Amino acid sequence: MLNNSAIQVKNVVKHFKHLKAVDKLSFEVPTGICFGFLGPNGAGKTTMMKILCGKSKRDKVENDLVSVFGRDPDRDELAIKFISGIVPQEDNLDLELNVEQNLQIYAKFYGLSAAQSRPFIASVLNFMELSEKKTSGIRELSGGMKRRLLIARALINNPKILILDEPTTGLDPQVRHHIWDKLRTLKKQGVTILLTTHYMEEAYQICDELIIMNKGAKVLQGNPGDLIQNHIENYVLEILNMEIPITEYPESIRRESANHRHLLYSDDFNEIKKISDLFKSGEFILRQSNLEDVFLKITGSNLYE
Amino acid sequence: MNNTSALNTVSIKPPHIFSRIYSVWFRHIRVYCKNLFSNGFPPFIEPLMFLAGIGLGLGQYVREINGMSYIAFLATGMLVPPAMFTASFECTFGTFIRMEFDKVYDGMISASLTVRDLFVGEILFAGTKGFFFSTAVLIVVSCFGLIHSPMALLTPFVGFLTGLMFASLALFITSFVNNINHFNFYFTGLITPMFFFSGIVFPLDTLPAYAQWIAGFFPLKHAVSLVRAFCFNTFEPDLMLNLLYMILFIIVFSSLAIRRLSRRIIN
Repeated sequence: MLNNSAIQVKNVVKHFKHLKAVDKLSFEVPTGICFGFLGPNGAGKTTMMKILCGKSKRDKVENDLVSVFGRDPDRDELAIKFISGIVPQEDNLDLELNVEQNLQIYAKFYGLSAAQSRPFIASVLNFMELSEKKTSGIRELSGGMKRRLLIARALINNPKILILDEPTTGLDPQVRHHIWDKLRTLKKQGVTILLTTHYMEEAYQICDELIIMNKGAKVLQGNPGDLIQNHIENYVLEILNMEIPITEYPESIRRESANHRHLLYSDDFNEIKKISDLFKSGEFILRQSNLEDVFLKITGSNLYE
Repeated sequence: MNNTSALNTVSIKPPHIFSRIYSVWFRHIRVYCKNLFSNGFPPFIEPLMFLAGIGLGLGQYVREINGMSYIAFLATGMLVPPAMFTASFECTFGTFIRMEFDKVYDGMISASLTVRDLFVGEILFAGTKGFFFSTAVLIVVSCFGLIHSPMALLTPFVGFLTGLMFASLALFITSFVNNINHFNFYFTGLITPMFFFSGIVFPLDTLPAYAQWIAGFFPLKHAVSLVRAFCFNTFEPDLMLNLLYMILFIIVFSSLAIRRLSRRIIN
């Protein structure tokens, strides 16, 4: 194994009854980067994350490999959990305990006594800016605070790897930016970050590398900026709510339609601008292409299903 | 926050299994003690009401059973059922809520704990509650001067084993349950009859042979035999069989339950 890779995955397969959740997935995560999994619901992102930390068992197939800092979760789940911080998709804080007690008990799961954990608790609460909520009950916290507390909890063991499953789903933009800032800081400190997300912007903001998954398989991998450059035209004209699609346009323009929304892609801004002149303002959006466009192109119409 | 890097060592050494199980047990104790008054009050009051309600009332008609006063017979029998009830509720409704509704277990197994640690800790916690509940009854009953043997001080340990037995059984049942209301079948179908046919309110030797034979399978019956022996200093070799039954019961059902629950949680 290369010394600088935190995680190696090869040929991993996972079925739930007849559903193929992960289909021969392979990837490698270098230490200290932020690695993203993008894909529609049911693409297998969460399942892959669970396999990494031993919360789900992969199918037994020949020549597969899962290695997290040299450990296989099927054999060494405790060692992996010991150096990982896991932020779940669904809040699973202990509702019977307040903020500080949640962290105290959690530190105990890592073998830290109350006295030993005190500086760690102060440090993670301070880091996630929750110090003044120390004695609050979990039910008193807002959604954003709960999420920040979940991240604080995942940091209590000073993990080498932080695994986040849709860390900012359902949060307001301010909290999202706050969390992204914190994740960037952690990355600078050398923590390897893995995250799943539906938000293209999130992936673009914080991921150094990402894979786009669909139906359990990897469809694309790369740096977000490169993916946009290499896999999609530079500009997009979004035409909203038009029942009759325009039929006349140059061949150099690629068109995608879903319901009454039409997307026209081109590398030539002027070309696409000309078409937009046919519409009133409010009927169209003219913009640079982004990761979402790559995602739609690669995964087909899945987003609309 | 990286200056606090005590854990950031090269070799990975997760806590020892005893430390992990203790941490789970500690979590439950911590939560239980948060409501110490409302949780700690009933175990003292319930036996009092039971003795008053049944003992004083029915005791007027049934003066003696097997050469002892009915109230002493009942009081000594009452040492274990609270342990059964508390462990049964803890590991059916309590476990189900933690597992399916509050997702507490999902959080716990994200830390360095295995599913086995989780449930061994939980069974031990239920045993601890059993110990506490039996102690509470022992205190109440002793205040009424119904127990004299110093050996009775060992009865809370029977309460502990009773807690372990019913926690193991309850977890085994829980591993099959997908709808929380189905626990009603377990309580009505098994726990309630167990209470009445384990020699607590009346001696089993008056029952027809087949009923005695069935009662012999009830785990609670064996616990009752043990506590009565401790309370009245009547030790017979059969007691070793009661103890053996309890220990085997705990081992069999806890292993089955943990295996099934692991498969349910780690899918």
